[in-house]
Amino acid sequence: MFIEVSFVALNMVEIAVLLKQVPDTNAKIAILGGRVDESAVTSWVTSPYDEYALEAALQHIEAAGGSITAITLGPDRADKVLKDAAALGVTKLVRIWGDGWEDLDSNQVQFALVDAVRASGAELVYCGKQSADRNQGSTGPGVAEMLGAACVVEVSEFDASSSSYVRPASSGSEKVTVSSPAVITFSKTESDLRRPNVRGIMMSKKAQIDLVSSDVGSSQVNFNGDSSPAEKPPGKTFQGSDCIPEVVGLLRDEAKVL
Amino acid sequence: MEITIIAETQENNLHSVTRQLVGAATSLGASPTILCANGIGADEAAGISGVGKVVSVNGDCFTTFDGGAWATAFDAAAGEGVIMGAATAQGRDVVSRIAARRGIPVVQDVVALSEGIKMTHPIYSGKAMQDVTVAGDCAMTLRANIFSAADDGGSAESSIVQQSGDVKIAVQEAIAKASERLDVTDADIIISGGRGMGGPENFDKLYSIADGLGAAVGASRAAVDAWDEIPHNMQVGQTGKTVNPSLYIAVGISGAIQHLAGMRTSKFIVAINKDPEAPIFKIADYGIVSTWEEALPVLASEIANLQ
Amino acid sequence: MSQTSCRLFKGEDMVYEALDFYDVDSQLSEEEIMVRDMVRDWVDAEVLPKIEHACRDGVFPDEWRVALGEMGVLGAPLDGYGCPGLSYVAYGVICRELERGDSGLRSFASVQGSLAMYPIWDFGSEEQKNKYLPKMASGDLIGCFGLTEPDYGSNPGGMITKAEDKGDHYILNGAKMWITNGTISDLAIVWAKLDGVIRGFIVETGDEGYSAPEMKGKHSLKASVTSELVFQDCKIPKDRILPGVKGLKGPFSCLNNARYGISWGALGAAQACFHSAKEYTLSRIQFDVPIASYQLIQNKLAWMLREITKGQLLALELGKKKDDGSWIPEHISLAKMNNVDIALEIARMARDMHGANGILDEYCIMRHMANLESVKTYEGTHDIHNLILGRHITGIQSFTRSE
Ligand SMILES: Cc1cc2nc3c(=O)[nH]c(=O)nc-3n(C[C@H](O)[C@H](O)[C@H](O)COP(=O)(O)OP(=O)(O)OC[C@H]3O[C@@H](n4cnc5c(N)ncnc54)[C@H](O)[C@@H]3O)c2cc1C
Ligand SMILES: Cc1cc2nc3c(=O)[nH]c(=O)nc-3n(C[C@H](O)[C@H](O)[C@H](O)COP(=O)(O)OP(=O)(O)OC[C@H]3O[C@@H](n4cnc5c(N)ncnc54)[C@H](O)[C@@H]3O)c2cc1C
Repeated sequence: MFIEVSFVALNMVEIAVLLKQVPDTNAKIAILGGRVDESAVTSWVTSPYDEYALEAALQHIEAAGGSITAITLGPDRADKVLKDAAALGVTKLVRIWGDGWEDLDSNQVQFALVDAVRASGAELVYCGKQSADRNQGSTGPGVAEMLGAACVVEVSEFDASSSSYVRPASSGSEKVTVSSPAVITFSKTESDLRRPNVRGIMMSKKAQIDLVSSDVGSSQVNFNGDSSPAEKPPGKTFQGSDCIPEVVGLLRDEAKVL
Repeated sequence: MEITIIAETQENNLHSVTRQLVGAATSLGASPTILCANGIGADEAAGISGVGKVVSVNGDCFTTFDGGAWATAFDAAAGEGVIMGAATAQGRDVVSRIAARRGIPVVQDVVALSEGIKMTHPIYSGKAMQDVTVAGDCAMTLRANIFSAADDGGSAESSIVQQSGDVKIAVQEAIAKASERLDVTDADIIISGGRGMGGPENFDKLYSIADGLGAAVGASRAAVDAWDEIPHNMQVGQTGKTVNPSLYIAVGISGAIQHLAGMRTSKFIVAINKDPEAPIFKIADYGIVSTWEEALPVLASEIANLQ
Repeated sequence: MSQTSCRLFKGEDMVYEALDFYDVDSQLSEEEIMVRDMVRDWVDAEVLPKIEHACRDGVFPDEWRVALGEMGVLGAPLDGYGCPGLSYVAYGVICRELERGDSGLRSFASVQGSLAMYPIWDFGSEEQKNKYLPKMASGDLIGCFGLTEPDYGSNPGGMITKAEDKGDHYILNGAKMWITNGTISDLAIVWAKLDGVIRGFIVETGDEGYSAPEMKGKHSLKASVTSELVFQDCKIPKDRILPGVKGLKGPFSCLNNARYGISWGALGAAQACFHSAKEYTLSRIQFDVPIASYQLIQNKLAWMLREITKGQLLALELGKKKDDGSWIPEHISLAKMNNVDIALEIARMARDMHGANGILDEYCIMRHMANLESVKTYEGTHDIHNLILGRHITGIQSFTRSE
């Protein structure tokens, strides 16, 4: 009995998973009064890459023992992502929010998250490589920097038994290990995301969400406004294969997709 | 304004995006300093027009990618002002860490830049654009192939500094690119063939172009139904996969409504079809009236030229 | 290449958008919404890609049984003994989301939960509850419900299947017909007359003299197993009688719950047909414009919207009554009858709007349409529910001429 306990204790990990609530990625994004109209969003979901981070954390805990703290920064409605995580078995839930926090800059966001990560005692932080709304990809590395932690970005595979991660490399990919504390940002992994079940959903009803705030200072970024992307020019038709160099040039310089 | 550029490299050379970073920096009136990890590309960088200084940052840490270690080294070598990098996975990592070290904001994937400093970047995967202004120092990464590249013609002074950082990431094993074909739902570029391809063997032409682009190969249902070699998981359309890539190239596909249902929301659509009346041309951004036999070889070589 | 990945993003217009004109789902609790999303996501990922295949092969895929058990939705409103303990509203929502996939799938869940688990839960002994319910909730044991007989459908009271008390065991003789899940089930709740009184018995697969051959050739509910149950001197132990109920009240209590679920389920099928009709008519061009721009088509779509909305309000209100106990069986008759009726009419209309494409298995509508024909018949035919309401209004029964 004693041996078993100490064995578990040696491997136990504390993982903080950062989850962001975003509009359903299938939703149309409308602009109202120069900003994205959030009130038109009917369905809010956990940012897809964050779901892979959570799945990896759950696998990690299953293999090594330990616990997960799910952390989100967002208004009231963001409780939903924590409840969804609770339905999958996460027991510690933290939401961070403060007055007038609608337009935080990258530093403020990272600062608030770092406070919560520290409070959780986690030595590993799992998050998505970027959020589906702002698409920035600054949060993972920025949080790592503030924590004095290493950061492996865009991980596509996680092996719980060896605690190794696969990340992109110039010639394919590479398997890496990292000393803790560390932040891992996930892209889509091969893992199937687990589904909740009714028992988990009932548990999540009872789960307690800690609401915290931080003194994040003031924003150094001015948000001037959002706009719809430039209308695509009407389609053009070209005759014969001679025009292909021109089309490839347009794809590169005008469409900017090559 | 002081701007420091973190050079983006590719193997042992400068990556072409580095010249675009210089172009963007000079458009703000700066003579940027370029930092080159272990001096890679330093000579070429010194010859780019508009560059103020080139600093080779030499350190042990640069043999393995570790954003934290690299940021430590670059941060020590960089001056005040603006830190600029390319919006690649590594660029975003390093630049956001430098920003966090310095307590300055970072804006990633910038596609428009002007004095002030005003930046525009896509949000919601390009469904909207956001304009921001930063008054003081900041960090940014720029999207490739948006800003015009600076030409040769400079002769910046070069120097070397020794700076490194603690590497906390250890590479255990290199994994070669999987030879498996990319799935259409995972790809940012898709090239699809239809019945007009004539036979499954001709899909090899599509595969070789796809390999050059990191693209996936898709198919219309007529192709999937006609040829056993084209499996159903390649089918795009109402009863196949729904895809939403940046670029969709339809070759020998007429553009039936059920096919369009699966690819209509692609950001850019190119169609190659010999029939000028083919409905696919109605939704194509660039329609090429040609047989694939004539078009694909030219397309392949043009794409090869891009790299 | 651009940095923003597209991989996780489906096309905007291909997503199932559940019609909910009055935002009825905003009245659901947080927990009910989570259950809805869980089932809806599962149907999208695991049912819709496989349903046509299952229908063609005439099988109920076993993996669906496993998944329903893992999700923990079987016997949804039952409490204790490993059962989910959800509200009746949640049970309705589950039925709706399952039937959006296929009525056969919902039938499986209805039979398991309301017709097999429920009688054990309500009328079974403590031993029976402990023995069967946890494994039925987890999907490890499947149950079926044998009431209808070849000669007694709408009039189950006339059943001829009978049980005899042989001292230390019972002997069953007779046959049941049209029994959902029969062949794949591990136990059957069989209603039979013991000394002229209808009683419930638990028959296990493997009991001597019991067999459950599958009925083939259905044009409807093809992904659901329908069977005959045959009892030839079938010998079962004494402890397999349900001690808690006598008479038609037993089967009718089960049917009340199943019918309630159907009143929600049919809306799922209707919503799927509406969704397909809307998408199709917006994209189908005839005489140079989308057919959705013609008044005749819009009239049909508006009618569908109207009936679905009314049906949703009906189902939710009934669900609240089930939860607070203020319901009467006639409330359920009204909802089952109305919602199946409009769903079938919507499916037929949608079939028409799809033109020739409407007959293909590429679209869900003809499948839903054919399924709903069964749903209209089972659990009390449409007209039997009219008679139930007629009796309620007038106080005069009209089921039979002789009293
Ligand atoms: C319910 C239903 C669901 C369906 N689902 C799908 C689906 O998911 N996906 C799908 O794709 N289809 C689907 N279809 C089929 C669809 O209607 C079309 O039949 C199919 O897309 C046609 O494929 P195609 O364009 O390759 O062939 P065609 O329509 O035969 O077109 C071939 C094209 O190739 C061109 N061509 C011929 N030779 C050459 C050449 N040498 N060089 C260049 N061009 C050439 C021709 O001009 C022509 O435009 C579905 C149909 C139904 C009824
Ligand atoms: C796919 C499927 C699955 C089923 N699963 C089960 C199951 O799991 N368990 C089970 O026990 N049963 C099951 N049933 C049987 C179902 O409950 C019966 O079919 C139903 O009760 C009707 O009985 P019947 O088919 O004998 O029709 P009948 O009772 O013969 O009815 C035929 C017609 O006569 C009408 N009618 C009957 N009586 C009257 C009256 N008094 N006044 C006016 N009209 C009347 C009916 O409305 C109907 O239109 C299933 C049926 C189907 C099709």
